Amino acid sequence: MKINYRQLSILVFMSFVALKFLALPSLLYVESKNMSWLVALVLMVLDAIYVFILLDLMKKSGQNNFYNFLKQCIGTMPAKIILIVLGLKYALVVANLSKGLEFFVVENFYERLNWVVFVLPLIILTGFMVYKGSRNIARVSEIICWPIILGCLYLAVKSIMGVEPLNFLPFLEEGIKPLAVSGFKHISWFGSCTFMFMLFGKVDFNNEKKSTMIKYIIISILLVQLIFIIFYGLFDVTSPTHNYCISDISQFSSGRSSIDELSWLVVSLWVSAQAVQLALYSYCLVQVIKFLFNVKSNAVPIFIVLLYIFMWSFIGEQTIRLENVFLTPYASIVTIVSQYVFPVFLLSAYHIKNAIFKHKHRQEVVNAIE
Amino acid sequence: MKINANKIVEQVKQKLHQSSDIKSRLVQFFGCEVAIIYIADITDNLLMNNSLVYPMVSFSNEVSNNVYKELKDKVLSNHEINEYEKLDDAIDGMLKGMCLIAVSGAEKFLCCDMEKITTRPVMEPPTSVVIKGPREGFTESIKYNFALIRKRVKTDDLVIKTMEVGELTKTQIGIVYFNSVADKNVVKRIENTIKNIKIDGVLDAHYLISYLQRNKHSLFKQVGDVEKPDILVGKMMEGRVGIIVDGSPIVLTLPFVLLEDLQNSDDYYSQPVRVVFVRILRLIGVIFAVVLPGVYVSLEIYHYKILPTEFLVTIMNTTQGIPFSPFVEILFLILLFEILYEANLRMPQYFGMAMSIVGALILGETTVNAGLVSPPAVMIVALSGITFYIIPSQAAQFSVLRLIAIVIGACLGLYGMLIFCVFILSYLSSFDSYKSAYLAPTAPYIDNDQQDLFVRANIKEMKKRPKSIANNRKNANRRSNNED
Repeated sequence: MKINYRQLSILVFMSFVALKFLALPSLLYVESKNMSWLVALVLMVLDAIYVFILLDLMKKSGQNNFYNFLKQCIGTMPAKIILIVLGLKYALVVANLSKGLEFFVVENFYERLNWVVFVLPLIILTGFMVYKGSRNIARVSEIICWPIILGCLYLAVKSIMGVEPLNFLPFLEEGIKPLAVSGFKHISWFGSCTFMFMLFGKVDFNNEKKSTMIKYIIISILLVQLIFIIFYGLFDVTSPTHNYCISDISQFSSGRSSIDELSWLVVSLWVSAQAVQLALYSYCLVQVIKFLFNVKSNAVPIFIVLLYIFMWSFIGEQTIRLENVFLTPYASIVTIVSQYVFPVFLLSAYHIKNAIFKHKHRQEVVNAIE
Repeated sequence: MKINANKIVEQVKQKLHQSSDIKSRLVQFFGCEVAIIYIADITDNLLMNNSLVYPMVSFSNEVSNNVYKELKDKVLSNHEINEYEKLDDAIDGMLKGMCLIAVSGAEKFLCCDMEKITTRPVMEPPTSVVIKGPREGFTESIKYNFALIRKRVKTDDLVIKTMEVGELTKTQIGIVYFNSVADKNVVKRIENTIKNIKIDGVLDAHYLISYLQRNKHSLFKQVGDVEKPDILVGKMMEGRVGIIVDGSPIVLTLPFVLLEDLQNSDDYYSQPVRVVFVRILRLIGVIFAVVLPGVYVSLEIYHYKILPTEFLVTIMNTTQGIPFSPFVEILFLILLFEILYEANLRMPQYFGMAMSIVGALILGETTVNAGLVSPPAVMIVALSGITFYIIPSQAAQFSVLRLIAIVIGACLGLYGMLIFCVFILSYLSSFDSYKSAYLAPTAPYIDNDQQDLFVRANIKEMKKRPKSIANNRKNANRRSNNED
């Protein structure tokens, strides 16, 4: 059950934009002020570079799944350590997506919503999509991808007249340091291509068109930048108070009077996109559990992941604001290691192993000739 | 073993439990006794008289000692004569409308095709009405249906294979496809599936559906159905296989993808620009049919604040004093609509018009005036009910989905509706029909096939067969001399 290259590109696109339009713009503004868009741009470009590193690794792995590839490159124990770190990253993203979605839905759609009523349908959907596998998630993403792009463009066009260009000046007034601090602090919201690890051996590179991936990455970066610029252009210093970028831009909320029917559709689409992303990262988490504990069946790992989502909804209801979890340096370190260190490390390990193998082979040939 | 004509008549009658429609006649042919046995109501008497009885009684030439051979080669003028060694085989032939001839002293039986085809004339099917384009529809006779296909396809590439299904009915099933276009594995799988069907009888093509579809318990249609030969041939040219069942005017097609129901034969006989508009309209119609009542219920119960103020005021004014909740109100109206539909469908035609007036005008008007339901609810249900029939072949599935959507809308609101929609998409994405993805060419996206999805390219430009349908990839190009 492989996915094709276009579907992979769309998954990358969805992952690039998924976490960006909720609380991230307002959180970034606290440190990097009117230059927040630049932080997002730099980190997204970095993510884009890593997409291609991961693609290279994917091709090198051939038909192997990620765990087998790791075992071949670095051995079993280091492979398990890498899987644990990746599992942490996926668990963080799953928590962020499910709680983010819950807050977003409750804030924008209902006056009050029981957390059980929220989480049960989400669990059913996630369980079903994860059970059906990566191809199913990819196909659904394919269907909703372009409506989301068009919806976001509609929002941008509708709101662009209210943007104040002077909000973005002066340029880099406080230097680069606040941007670096902000980038490190919020890096957990980036690292958008870690899911690709779990698709090793599951992508069909026949009929691959490199331009497809480039196209979708460029669209995602431009879209995020457009929405960020509109957000900061509209709200400026009040940005930190606007926790739900996409709905606040559209002035959509059940509590507000200014309502636009089409924006309402865009926001609804956004909820669907978040749900699909949740399924994608839950799928990755299930794969990690399967690799770590050598489980063949899907049922138990899926049950664990669904229980995890359920627990987050329950715990989050009691005390924790998710942003606080995501803002810890630990979360940033997990992201940096999983997204930016592992791919380079694995690429190096692969080449070193290959070089050693070639050297050994050459020696064997020389010995045989002698 | 030598045949005794007299005894054979008795044996046949005994085998068929002395059925009263078994008729026989004994004729003396040059001193030899010949029995003609047939089933009265399915045999063409005129044909029998002209090609069998009259030539026998009027034959005056000299005959050799081998009466059987003389009869077969010189006397019978029928176009199809079969020989059988076993009486059981000959009786099987007789049950299909053949006339059994038993010649005393011979070792074989003769069977001549005398079948009387009784079927209604070729008419335009009620569910595939077109403004422009061919109006011929399939009939209940498999032979007529083969003829309707052959009339359009004059090539040696057309394959028609027949087999029998049904222990009691022995219904003839025909598989039709283009040899160079259809996927061989798909054809083989269909053949094997049909061969392995063990059933008392097949009375209609729909009997086969549950054997042919892969997801046995799915709500969604997984086998295509057509009622017109031009549509069938069009589908076969794309690589599909047609399954014709004797006694049914519906021809099944496989593989089936969901979006092919958005297409209509009219589309290929109209201007491409108009087709784009109509196909988008159909898609919107489907969305309206399934989700509109659910969205209305959820908006009224949970999200009334997101409605524009003027609209909200209008709705509040009209729903004031309605004793039911929006959920019950919509459910009541849908129930009413479904009852009217069922009654209208099965009622004699001259009552139908009166029923429409009573249903739509009197019932609708009075329930609103009585304050039982609100006008917006009537409008929503009516719109949803009408849009069902934009794609009539999917109406049954849509009506179930609509009910689920209403319940979800009432229980969970808009959030539940969104999750429901993604779930449906995910469910549909998860299954394939005979090597073809169910939601193709949308998911997976197939660039080549976009020329006949929402936009219908000019026929001259559609040079490749669709890739979303499993077909013979070696023959992917349509035969065309328009290389420009």
